[in-house]
Amino acid sequence: MNDADQVVERAVEAYRALADLAETIEDEWQYVTDLADAYLPSIQALADSGQTFTANQITAADEAAAEIGLITDPHKAIDWLSTFPHVLALALGGDVGDDAVSAGGAGADR
Amino acid sequence: MRFQDAAKDARAVVYAGIQADSLVARVAALLAAATTAERWLARAAMNGERTEADIWRRIFPSLFGEGAASELRTRAEQILQASLEVANRGEAARSSYRGAVVEELTARLLVAGAAAGTPVRRERRVLFDGVPAEIHPYDVTVESATRPQVYDCKWGARGINADVLNQLDDARAHAADEDLELDVAIVVFDALRSCEIRLDRSTANRAGTRLVALGELDCLAEPRA
Repeated sequence: MNDADQVVERAVEAYRALADLAETIEDEWQYVTDLADAYLPSIQALADSGQTFTANQITAADEAAAEIGLITDPHKAIDWLSTFPHVLALALGGDVGDDAVSAGGAGADR
Repeated sequence: MRFQDAAKDARAVVYAGIQADSLVARVAALLAAATTAERWLARAAMNGERTEADIWRRIFPSLFGEGAASELRTRAEQILQASLEVANRGEAARSSYRGAVVEELTARLLVAGAAAGTPVRRERRVLFDGVPAEIHPYDVTVESATRPQVYDCKWGARGINADVLNQLDDARAHAADEDLELDVAIVVFDALRSCEIRLDRSTANRAGTRLVALGELDCLAEPRA
């Protein structure tokens, strides 16, 4: 497993744990499941771009994963189920399928 | 059809204090001129567990890294600091501040796109002849005589629910009964994909309701045709 695979795998693991926490809000189980089903493949695909991540990108992805690992409130977890994939995509210079999140830094998408 | 100020109950009075906080205006002004990436930074930092700026700088290397132009780093830094000020208000207050920021941001963008002199107002009801007034006022209204618009604003996709969608659609339908075209929209400071996932499970009528997600916010500043 290369660096790209490993950093994305850590992100996937963190995201799954976040979804597990979010699922404890029973009324939102379907929404949480739908979000995870939609975003997990997109997160995993970030490792498939063939690009090599810089040390800063790997640090960014791991910090983002650490951030969601600190969440204990399931309501906040639901909020981060949609935030984390986009933050991760910005960190790794990929996209997760909408909103034109792309690499290139501030101003690149205006 | 006519617009009217909403009566303020106790909760609205408290919330009005938050809406009037200069921090809300400052964050909204920064976000009105922000890129999508910067808006994601704000969304993350305003709802983060950690409030140390260095951590967020590391999470967003495209905004704070060596590759970013200095003026863009400066703007990202202003957004980060203001967002962390919101986060530092504490978990209980954060959600109210975040909601107020999204409303103020929406209003500022709409002012930019509205014809000169068109009132863009907050917390207004829309009244129709023979129709009971809605329970909740609209967050933002563009009170154009020719192209009136009403907006409901949400921090996250989870805020989209049948009550909101039905109220917007009912208003549009009642306006149509009076031969008026009322634009109705929901603005969500969240990913388009998450909003669509939320909407896919809703049975409320939303065919005439426009969705504006975080990545499309700048369209609010464009004149409505």
